[in-house]
Amino acid sequence: MSFTLDGVSQRYITDSGEVVHALADTSLEVPTGQFLCVVGPSGCGKTTLLKILAGFLRPTGGEARVNGSAISGPSWERGVVFQQANLYPWLTVRKNVELGLKFRGVGAAERRETGQQCLDLVGLSGFEDQKTYELSGGMQQRAQIARVLANDPEIILMDEPFGALDALTRERLQMDLLQISRERRKTVFFITHSVEEAVFLGDRVLVMSPRPGRVVLDEKVEISKKYGRLLPGKELRSTPEFVGLRDLIAETIYAGQAPA
Amino acid sequence: MVTGPTQDEGGLVSQADHLGQSLRVAADARRSRRTQRVRKLVLSLAVLVVALAVWWLVTALELVQPLYLPSPAAVWQAFVESNTCRELESGRTVCGEQNYYMWEHLIASMQRIAVGVGVAIVLGPLVGFLMASIGWLNTALEPYLNFLRALPPLGYIGLLIVWFGIGNTSKYWLLFLAAFPPIVIATINGVRGVREDSIHAARSMGASQWQVGRHVILPATLPEVIGGIRIAVGFAWTTVVAAELNAGIPGIGGLAYVSGQQLQTALTIACIIVIGLAAVALDALLKHLGTLLVPWYGRA
Ligand SMILES: Nc1ncnc2c1ncn2[C@@H]1O[C@H](COP(=O)(O)OP(=O)(O)O)[C@@H](O)[C@H]1O
Ligand SMILES: [Mg+2]
Repeated sequence: MSFTLDGVSQRYITDSGEVVHALADTSLEVPTGQFLCVVGPSGCGKTTLLKILAGFLRPTGGEARVNGSAISGPSWERGVVFQQANLYPWLTVRKNVELGLKFRGVGAAERRETGQQCLDLVGLSGFEDQKTYELSGGMQQRAQIARVLANDPEIILMDEPFGALDALTRERLQMDLLQISRERRKTVFFITHSVEEAVFLGDRVLVMSPRPGRVVLDEKVEISKKYGRLLPGKELRSTPEFVGLRDLIAETIYAGQAPA
Repeated sequence: MVTGPTQDEGGLVSQADHLGQSLRVAADARRSRRTQRVRKLVLSLAVLVVALAVWWLVTALELVQPLYLPSPAAVWQAFVESNTCRELESGRTVCGEQNYYMWEHLIASMQRIAVGVGVAIVLGPLVGFLMASIGWLNTALEPYLNFLRALPPLGYIGLLIVWFGIGNTSKYWLLFLAAFPPIVIATINGVRGVREDSIHAARSMGASQWQVGRHVILPATLPEVIGGIRIAVGFAWTTVVAAELNAGIPGIGGLAYVSGQQLQTALTIACIIVIGLAAVALDALLKHLGTLLVPWYGRA
């Protein structure tokens, strides 16, 4: 599944009646199977953009489309991984992961099987019947990812999903996510505040300007293609291409932040 | 056990040390929790003993006439008599007070509370959910809810008796009207407090509006609803005397009122103590039930 933004913009009206221009006219085309990373200073409209794609928010200007048709609301085909795990504490880990399938009327046996596969995939075997609030932050985030994967959405929208995790857990989840998204040819929209993470994960990286957010840099990441995607993470990160792109992005962000 | 630590066994020794240490820490924590609980209990008991002693002293020194403040022993006697049969000087045997044992009075009141609050527990969350999810309904009803909440039960019991008769129906209504607003308000607050992301997460997993309500909003609101029920039950106890002012026998509130009017002060005090203890016990039960139903509360 591909998606398109056609001159999308967003103005919020705050409780005090003030108008906040969060997102400037943004146009974008993201083909099926692309892993798109978005970076930018906080408050630049990244989450706003994700909400529009998820269908939680109707943009005040322009139109967002999936496979050519306008987004009119949330859909299971666009799974969302939130910054906070958002698991339902009244359900066990397993029930959380199976919930999407349940919503969609999938039978119990199939739910169980698919759910288990996804739990295994994210390394939560043995924790199926735990209470969610008894899991560590990293495990909760894994469970949330499993919950989204169980639904097998074509597009995965992720809002700084690894931001609150320790370095080791983050690296492991990055590798898992990369593998899953490639194997299943998912289109991924991935927000992060880590330039390094964006270059490491993305096929393409967008940099957004401070509010009102607009795209100031749009770069393809060809590094892993060049190295045949064989390089382990650590070595990839020290190639000149990686370092060069990382510095370019970082400079672009800082340049944008400097007072005009 | 480790004998004579050598360099090779260094790791093992320190591991065993470490394990021993954490066991000790756990044991210490348990012990300090226990001493804390014992300390609390001792404090509560001490306050009780002091209060009883002062009470006893005031009455023993006859600082206050027994009519105004009977002695602890007299109250205890009234309590015992109200739960047993005794022979009067005339040779007649009477059981309990006002033809019922005290526990029968208590049960009669609890039944009334069960009906009044029970209906509120069924209707309150329902109305709360509707008001929280339908904007105009909330706008239309909220002022009346606040109005009702502010009314003193004693003020409108007379009206309810005119409408529904002096029997149990008017008492059920009074208790219902007392219990209903706190449950509705708690439910509304609960629904409003559900995190937006929780709802969004469900919607993007394919949930319909109905499924969001059933699988997300309902369970997420449960802790607040239970809190509202606890407040409502507490409020019902404070209302039960008002409910039983007229034709309230059997009923512990009725007994408290009637005995006061007949200057059986000891019995009145016994009734008050029983009402208080019953209310505290019921609340503890509800609190416990709450932790069973929403074990995640405060932890997620
Ligand atoms: N519901 C809202 N009402 C008013 N202003 C909002 C609302 N949501 C976001 N904003 C504002 O819009 C801007 C962009 O927010 P957001 O998309 O969350 O940024 P980011 O995710 O890049 O940090 C911020 O300045 C934020 O304060
Ligand atoms: Mg954000």
